[in-house]
Amino acid sequence: MTGKVWALVCAGALVAGLAGCSSSDGAGSGGKVTLTYAYWDEENQGAAMRKIVEEFTKTHPEIEVKLQFTPNKEYWTKLQTAAAGGTAPDVFWMNGPRIGLYASQGALLPLSDRIAKDKLDLGKYPKSLVDLYTLDGKQYGIPKDFDTIGLWYNKDLFDAAGVKYPDASWTWDDVRDAAKKLTDPAKGVHGIGAMAWPQELYYNTIFQAGGYVISDDRKKSGYDDPATIEGLKFWKDLLDRKLSPTVQQMTDNDPIEMFKSGKLAMWYDGSYDAAQYNKTEGLNADVAPLPAGPKGKATVIHGLANVIYAKTKHPEQAWEFLRFLGSEQANRIQAESGAVIPAYEGLQDSWVKSMPKLNLQAFIDQLPDARPYPVSKNTAAWARPETDAITKAFSEGQDVEAVARAFAATMNAALSQEK
Amino acid sequence: MSTVGRAAARAAARPATRRRLRDRDWVWGYAMIAPLVLGLGVFYLWPVVQSVYYSFTEWTLFGDATWIGLRNYAEVFTDPANARALRNTFVYGALSLLGIPLSIAVAALLGTRGLKLVSLYRTLYFLPVVTMPAAVAMIWTWLYNGDYGLVDYLLSLVGVQGTSWIANPSTALYALVAVGVWTQIGYNAVIFMAGLQAIPRHLYEAASIDGAGRVRQFFRVTLPLLSPSVFFVSVLSVINGLQMFDLVYLMLRRGNPAREDTQTVVSLFFTRAFEEGAKGYAAAMAVVLMAITLLLTVVQFRVQKRWVHYA
Amino acid sequence: MRNGRLWPVHLVLAVGAAAMVMPFFWQVLTSLKTFTEATRTPPVWIPSFEWSNFATVLDETPFLQQFGNTVVMTAGRTLAQLLFCSLAAYAFARLRFPGRDVIFIALLSVLMVPGQLFLIPQYQIVQSLGWLNTLPGLIAPGMFSAFGTFMMRQFFMTLPAEVEEAARLDGANPLRVFWSVMLPLARPGLMALGVLTVLWSWNDLMWPLIVNTDPESMPLSAGLSALQGEHMTDYPVLMAGSLMASAPIVVLFVVMQRQLIEGIAFTGSK
Repeated sequence: MTGKVWALVCAGALVAGLAGCSSSDGAGSGGKVTLTYAYWDEENQGAAMRKIVEEFTKTHPEIEVKLQFTPNKEYWTKLQTAAAGGTAPDVFWMNGPRIGLYASQGALLPLSDRIAKDKLDLGKYPKSLVDLYTLDGKQYGIPKDFDTIGLWYNKDLFDAAGVKYPDASWTWDDVRDAAKKLTDPAKGVHGIGAMAWPQELYYNTIFQAGGYVISDDRKKSGYDDPATIEGLKFWKDLLDRKLSPTVQQMTDNDPIEMFKSGKLAMWYDGSYDAAQYNKTEGLNADVAPLPAGPKGKATVIHGLANVIYAKTKHPEQAWEFLRFLGSEQANRIQAESGAVIPAYEGLQDSWVKSMPKLNLQAFIDQLPDARPYPVSKNTAAWARPETDAITKAFSEGQDVEAVARAFAATMNAALSQEK
Repeated sequence: MSTVGRAAARAAARPATRRRLRDRDWVWGYAMIAPLVLGLGVFYLWPVVQSVYYSFTEWTLFGDATWIGLRNYAEVFTDPANARALRNTFVYGALSLLGIPLSIAVAALLGTRGLKLVSLYRTLYFLPVVTMPAAVAMIWTWLYNGDYGLVDYLLSLVGVQGTSWIANPSTALYALVAVGVWTQIGYNAVIFMAGLQAIPRHLYEAASIDGAGRVRQFFRVTLPLLSPSVFFVSVLSVINGLQMFDLVYLMLRRGNPAREDTQTVVSLFFTRAFEEGAKGYAAAMAVVLMAITLLLTVVQFRVQKRWVHYA
Repeated sequence: MRNGRLWPVHLVLAVGAAAMVMPFFWQVLTSLKTFTEATRTPPVWIPSFEWSNFATVLDETPFLQQFGNTVVMTAGRTLAQLLFCSLAAYAFARLRFPGRDVIFIALLSVLMVPGQLFLIPQYQIVQSLGWLNTLPGLIAPGMFSAFGTFMMRQFFMTLPAEVEEAARLDGANPLRVFWSVMLPLARPGLMALGVLTVLWSWNDLMWPLIVNTDPESMPLSAGLSALQGEHMTDYPVLMAGSLMASAPIVVLFVVMQRQLIEGIAFTGSK
């Protein structure tokens, strides 16, 4: 520890002549406090974030909020680098796969006491999201937005093949039939994209088949469960019948780009990509609820939350800001931007209306069937190997069942290391 | 000039003064290395020392480090993912040596007496060296595309069926090595050209009087005298190969089926430290890699005595 | 030897050169295509000159700002390395002081370590100085180089000793000798180190990605990476972006070709 101090002194002395030492301490003179708020989506949500901060400072002139944008790919690397040094942004975006790790290692401020004291009503947010950010009975985040998955389809391709548009009555069989009719190798068009992405694709079908990814007590993998395997086989079957491009092709050419350029007729994707499809020129697409599997309907629900850094120097001010972020007013700003579905109850309508061309109501209608995004304390320890394993399973000449069963053992081993 | 000349004469005449001056050097010595030693010490050396310490601890993302002795090392040596990454890393290191004969060939050809357009060729061969790695990665990702890539199109012209080079687990590793070699050829060729120019002309003349043809001359004269350059380049290639990271990080997108088959020690280190939050464990990985690099470099320096000829 | 007999050499070199240049040709061609044209087989050889790809890059990234950042970062790192490395290298090469060789070897050990290991500690230092998302933060760790010191030391060792001995007998202290006698003699070595540092600095990616995440304070390399995050496999836009980000350094190389080649040749000759 003394060494660290020494190093810093040296570094300070070394560079002092160069640019002078400025302090990163937020508490400036005159009692004004500066908070840093970190996020990762500038293109879709940057404007809404700035608007929210502007509104907040109107009522809280004594608090200045600095926005810190980091592209998604480097967001977590940067956050962990910063937090390892004992300083991170005061308030930041959090997602489901990371919450367990951050909360269990003490990086986040538990909010339960403050919620109780200020009588914040968590009933205003979808329950599965509130639960996602609860660990060992403590609340760590206030839901910011949520997303569900829908069946996107290209109307022009459907019309050309004479196939009826998908609707709420569709089942897996309808998807298979339609995919067969829509696939046209001569034009390079595939009926559907069976990519090995968890949230958008195979988690949904696992749930629809009655399977599970992780047991409710978060101690056991579901990948050796026959129903789970059936959910994976749905995609493998489409791949084997060449109704989807291969996983390799979709690695070279992002399936989102393929759908946008008319090379995929159907595509499972989240509400967060709606804005992107809405503005793509020459794409005549719409969206329907996910088709039902053998055990009925299901969609993954996931959402981000705003959290407070445990070692923030200004917990009171951070909590003030967090409350504002969770308020109806802040959620309305998000809704009107159209980028995401706000988490706050009753505001979904303004999001649905933000893109009249699309049947966004499909995402909201699925809420009763929504299943929480599967997580554990250290999701990353098994989520990466999971993507690797399932990607392999979906590749040509692989046996899904064998790969899934082998992965179940890997995942169980990772889960047994969690304390 | 004359001052210097006179002083030189005096210096030669008075070795005793010289020695006395040397005795005071140490103050100046420390003063002159101070800025660099401080900078390197703070930004580089101290982190290395820290990492060695942390490799014996369980250092989670945000908590304090707790001493756990050799447990990280035990796990490093038993984790099959590390064995695979190490194998891949060795393949990168070994295959990146393949670029050396190519670079020597380019250098030898560019050194042909009376050849014109040398500087044009040199510029072209050098373009990949100066291009930003992030750009190189993008260009090659696109060239390797299994549906619309130029590589597959060119192969199809000669009747060869291509593939998705970097999404195919059986080709991805080699596809990445090829990019690495492609970016290095120009750099290495320049080093070899300098080495070739330093070879005295009369040695060739002597060889040719002995009746050696141009090919014999190359193997009897050129190659042995070029060996110091070859040694330098191969040490660098191996170190770079062992620290392979950029291309893997930049070229393999989410959900690439070849990810496991291209993972290197450094990219795995990055995953463990920054994505899974196992920093103590990752530090142990880095220390092991450091030891391997050091060992290989020492071996290379030992073995060089057998094949490197210093003129 | 007659020039006419060199055609086989030209043939081999030209084939090799084509392999070197072909990817860039494809990059430029694609950057001028629409997405539809780019994804057509067989390839379209005459593009429709879709300049909007470049416009997209300019719209989405503060290109000029990032260009400026890159220039400042590169200049700052290069000047600092030239100064600090040569100063220390001279001392390591010519002065005697206790612990000299031990210190030198300790510094060299840095070269054996993968650079990613330094990220966390360096980040902590820069953060505690309040330099996140600033140019000093971008520059600082790159100001010092073990490799550069090694290289300059090797260079100083090749210089004849008589000249400086003479100057020192005339009463000049080592710093003065270094500055007015040795540094002018070391110009080729400094040039070599300079070009290598410029090249390395311009293309450096990992550190900028972590330390400067605000698009306004990023250098071009990180900006290009961010562009890829938004456009995934929209190759025409990516090719336009990669062309714009790497063009300046390529132009600089063509202009300063001789120095660069000499610099690199020098590193290999020791």
